Amino acid sequence: MMQTENRTAVIRERIENIYKYLHRHKEYINRLNVFPVPDGDTGLNMTLTLQGALANMHNYEEESISTGEYLKNFAEQMLLNSRGCSGVILSLYCQGISQVIENNDFSKDNIFRALENGYKNAYEGTENPKEGTMLTLMREFKEKYGEIMKEDDDPSIIIKKCIPYLKEVLKKTPDMLPVLKQAGVVDSGGAGFLIILQGINRELNFNGSSLNSLPVSIIININKNIKKFLNGNFANFNKNSIADLLPSIDVEKLHNLRLRNIIEDVKHFINNLQSNGSRLLNKKAIINDLEDMKNSWNPEIKFKYCTEFVLETDKISSKEQIKKIIDGYGDSLIILSSGDKYKVHIHTNKPESVFKDVSKYGELIFTKVDDMKKQHRNLISDDTIDYEREKSVFCIVSGKGFAEILKKLGTDDVFCYGKNKPSVERIVKELNRLRTKNIIVAADDKDILMALKYAASLSKSNVNIVESNNVISLISMMMNISKELDITNTLESIMNSLDDIRFCGIARAVRDAVTEDGKKVNKNDFFTVYNGKIILSDKNIETLIINTIKKLIKEESLISLYKGIPARKEENLIPKLKKTFPDFEFEEYYGGQYQYNYYITFE
Amino acid sequence: MDKKILIITGDMIGLSKEQIDYPDIEILKFPVIVNDKEYRESNEYTAQWLNEKYLKEKVVAKSSSIVKGELIEIVEKNKDKYDLIIHVFMSSVMSAATFAIAKNVMEMYENTIPIINIDSRQVMAGIGNVLLGVIDVIKKNDNMDDIVKLSQEVVQNTFSYYVMADLNYLYRGGRIGKAKALMGSVLHIIPIIGLMGDDEEGQFVPLGKGRTFKQVNSQIIDLIKAKMAEKQVTSIKSLNIVGFGDNNDAFFDFEEKLKTIPCDDFILGKADLVGAVHCGPKSYTVAITI
Repeated sequence: MMQTENRTAVIRERIENIYKYLHRHKEYINRLNVFPVPDGDTGLNMTLTLQGALANMHNYEEESISTGEYLKNFAEQMLLNSRGCSGVILSLYCQGISQVIENNDFSKDNIFRALENGYKNAYEGTENPKEGTMLTLMREFKEKYGEIMKEDDDPSIIIKKCIPYLKEVLKKTPDMLPVLKQAGVVDSGGAGFLIILQGINRELNFNGSSLNSLPVSIIININKNIKKFLNGNFANFNKNSIADLLPSIDVEKLHNLRLRNIIEDVKHFINNLQSNGSRLLNKKAIINDLEDMKNSWNPEIKFKYCTEFVLETDKISSKEQIKKIIDGYGDSLIILSSGDKYKVHIHTNKPESVFKDVSKYGELIFTKVDDMKKQHRNLISDDTIDYEREKSVFCIVSGKGFAEILKKLGTDDVFCYGKNKPSVERIVKELNRLRTKNIIVAADDKDILMALKYAASLSKSNVNIVESNNVISLISMMMNISKELDITNTLESIMNSLDDIRFCGIARAVRDAVTEDGKKVNKNDFFTVYNGKIILSDKNIETLIINTIKKLIKEESLISLYKGIPARKEENLIPKLKKTFPDFEFEEYYGGQYQYNYYITFE
Repeated sequence: MDKKILIITGDMIGLSKEQIDYPDIEILKFPVIVNDKEYRESNEYTAQWLNEKYLKEKVVAKSSSIVKGELIEIVEKNKDKYDLIIHVFMSSVMSAATFAIAKNVMEMYENTIPIINIDSRQVMAGIGNVLLGVIDVIKKNDNMDDIVKLSQEVVQNTFSYYVMADLNYLYRGGRIGKAKALMGSVLHIIPIIGLMGDDEEGQFVPLGKGRTFKQVNSQIIDLIKAKMAEKQVTSIKSLNIVGFGDNNDAFFDFEEKLKTIPCDDFILGKADLVGAVHCGPKSYTVAITI
């Protein structure tokens, strides 16, 4: 067998090579952007996800760990360091794969199972999974692999043979996602995935080694079983599963110092019990330690799943009726209604039962379940937290100007991440830095949402995520928030107000594009994006803004321009706009956004 | 009502004397200091007069507590004509001096004539609403204990909402309370603040904010409806809306929106000089009693 240091060094080198290969293609992936603004960062996010994981693997490289375990740790580090949706989905995929090959079985069948599990893990971890994305390539990959493995035994050959087929699948992604077709690009995440696969193909060389470590799933049960044992009467000690379990635990391999200390204490306790029946170590103290470890990260959560759904029904005519149906399932119930649709938010331990009960009354057109505890992660954390505050409203934004505006609007805490999106680990640090029991958090970019959700599951606070996707909705949220309300009512008020302010973005095209009605947008022209579509363009930004206002203004009376970095040095447009539109009020602020010259709001 | 009861109040009630359906009333005038010179409200010195000075001359204005000697003079003049005096005054948290003077005068005359001091927990139109509520109470009750108890219920069920175009006027008068949280925004915002009768702290609380007057008007309607739901009532007993000028469109929109709420007594109140000191131009307020 390969010496441990050599083995980990080889794995690391190969991963580094794959990372370098991806890095070389980063800009190509970034350019595959739906809008012709240079804010495409899929390549960057995937690269930074791998880079961050590599940087944090040093702790594992001196240990005698197997290839499977090394890859599992690497996948965990990827998740911690993931940025943007693409980084998170890729990490989930790798995590799913590593869960299977942790057993160091690199046979073609086991790798197939790993690819299946990787796809499943990524798909289930993605909200509103869509065809024509990285997920499609992941699915097609495992299916093609399954097909080819009937003829070939060598996994590296099978993977190599899959690549041409996946290139064809990537080319078809614009047919699956209209937004890609309109922009004339293939999916950037899918392209990144394919490049990683090509990198793997270049490096691939399998090495089997035996499993000699403790899976995390067992660590989770240790806490539970020890407590159960200590709470018993010790009469049938030898029949208790803990008797078999404890000697097999190699405490040296436990990274969690608290759990390690507890297990050593339990071992001493059992030794004393078996030798002379005396209980030199305080049983209660050990149980308290176990309880404390379990509860320290998030003692408030009674209901594990943050559950949301939209029910379309003609059988229900009031929020009260829905409340009656599901009130008993949990807490933090928020019900919003619009016509025959009801949007419902509830924290519960039985999301499936909730869905089953309400679906008797109509059609569930949207469901979402977030695991708020993620115990398998938090149990292996050493940290405890002393809360200093009960509640905080926390915004994550890119532009400095917007950060200042949000602070002055009453946001308790603002994290201004600048140009590059923050990793899961960075968000976790920011969340924990707040030392606040209940956090309401919202970000200015939907691409941060997935990372935010994973960060929330690792945080020691009760984190309520507001599913915002732009900075204007954060302003809207802060305009409507009342500090006097409790968490549930604050969330309800936020959900009601997120889309209150209509807005559009003005940017300069970095390549040719087309508007929604098929008109050409030339490279370097300015264009207007409204509700995710390019609606207008012009060579002159003033003309474009005037035309945009004419097109979009409805009953509003106040028009605000939030200037971004590209327009920082441009003159104040307000006097000219006031001349053109004397019946409206205009205001201009510095937002500091990186790609859009202006955001224009209508209020 | 068999007892002869005199009511004393200040001239910051958001009502003209004609709008108060009670003959036995004395209204004390608060001193208003504009650029170090003292004024009292009159036909010449009105809310509109001060607003013009605010806009054109950028003057600094303040108000001070009622003058103790003037209160004593009223009591002295009326002590033999009435069985009871009720003094309805502004929130004791907003003006501790007015409260102290009222308390001191009540004690001075405790062996001469009973005086009931009612801390309205309100300012401006809110005091006016409490005053009208107390008048209703005394029209139906003679017993002092009942009057005190029922008046307290009026206080607890009176709520006032203020749209302040510029919170600096309130800030300079030292009465901003928790509403200070709404100051200093980078964005131009229009704050909504309020005095809630069921809030024992009796100071201004921030209730919301908007970017346009129409937005804040709608928000106040929602706040009033929420308060009605909380108190389980379907109609408001009395509603007094007061505008401090220079903002007709917004005020008209507000008035129209308020008219959609069921109400027994809808009053278009009067902007008084003292109120104008603390609100400034373009501001307006509504007080409700439920």
